[in-house]
Amino acid sequence: MSSPLEQFVIKPIIPIEVAGIDISFTNSSLFMVLAVVVSTLVMALCLRKRTMVPGMLQSIPESLYEFINNLLRENVGVEGLKYFPFIFTVFVFIAFGNLLGLFPYAFTFTSHLTAVGSLSLVALLFNIAVGIKNKKLGWLRTFLPRGIPLALAPLIVPIEMISFLSKPFSLTVRLVANMTVGHIMLKIIAGFVVSLGILGIIPLLFNGAIVCFEIFISLLQAFIYTVLSCIYLGEALHEH
Amino acid sequence: MPQLDFSVFPSQLFWLVICFFTMLFIMSRFIIPKTAEMINLRRAKIDDDLEQADEIKKHVEETLEKYKKSLAEATAKANVSLQKTRDELNETVARKQEEISLKMKSEMEENEKKIDDAKDRAMKKVEEAAADLAVDVLEKLGFSGIKPNDARNALDLVKREQL
Repeated sequence: MSSPLEQFVIKPIIPIEVAGIDISFTNSSLFMVLAVVVSTLVMALCLRKRTMVPGMLQSIPESLYEFINNLLRENVGVEGLKYFPFIFTVFVFIAFGNLLGLFPYAFTFTSHLTAVGSLSLVALLFNIAVGIKNKKLGWLRTFLPRGIPLALAPLIVPIEMISFLSKPFSLTVRLVANMTVGHIMLKIIAGFVVSLGILGIIPLLFNGAIVCFEIFISLLQAFIYTVLSCIYLGEALHEH
Repeated sequence: MPQLDFSVFPSQLFWLVICFFTMLFIMSRFIIPKTAEMINLRRAKIDDDLEQADEIKKHVEETLEKYKKSLAEATAKANVSLQKTRDELNETVARKQEEISLKMKSEMEENEKKIDDAKDRAMKKVEEAAADLAVDVLEKLGFSGIKPNDARNALDLVKREQL
């Protein structure tokens, strides 16, 4: 039986190297591209026939729109609505990355520290940009909140910096751990289906249930990642 | 564990940035505006409909108020007209009654007069007959030459004495 971790191995499909840096198009990259293509196609299909009274398909992007809209209003406020496309894309990108990974032989790029870490890095840089744009130099107050005596700065600033940088790290680890565990479990139980022969029906049914559960987890984790991104964005916009 | 292989980080970061920003572009340019457009249109339509419903409600309330007012006016007018008719009717009835009672009274008086006349005439005839009878009786008793007028005078005398 192959290792349950084998499914996470990144294999280059088109080797590319620029200035000594390996930026090969890998199976992970392929699924990132697929996430973009599939989510665009699904959304476009849902919005193909737009009517005043939405049908089932049309209500999918509309519900998602209202959901992200409310999320931003509640966690960031009305001023956060201008960052709606970013948060919307984060949710859709992760949700589709998670869901596509559930297909047999598919690769789950959201189960990779480097992939999700890159996204968290993008989100972190976005938050810093938003913070600096809104607060200018006052953004540096993030590391030394108001009311803290200057004498405590050598202690507080490193703590706040660690806290600030640990946010994308915690976001990444949470999503990666959830996705990895889910897929390892699916793979291990799937291995039992073959090895148990006729009794394999039991793990098969169990696997079916886990797939349903994983669909839920995929959306839940995308939701958690988005909510936390919203909260961090809110912190970048408002006073500590 | 393949997750801890950081040698793929540049490739992952590169492709993630490309994919994420492509998606951000597609979402913000096409999907989100298309979705928002319909939601906003619907919201505007609902607001518009609600406004229209409010206007209609106001209009209905106004019409109902007008109707109640006209109904009250018409009722008052009808009551006045009814009272007027009733008064006129009462007046007419009273007048007719008076006319009839006057007519009846005059007719009664006339009839009483006729009865009295008939009675007088009858009494006169009775007296004449009584005078003739007295003359006849007296003639039979041997008193001749008595005129009916004397007999009548004698009877008058008797009558007056009886009264």
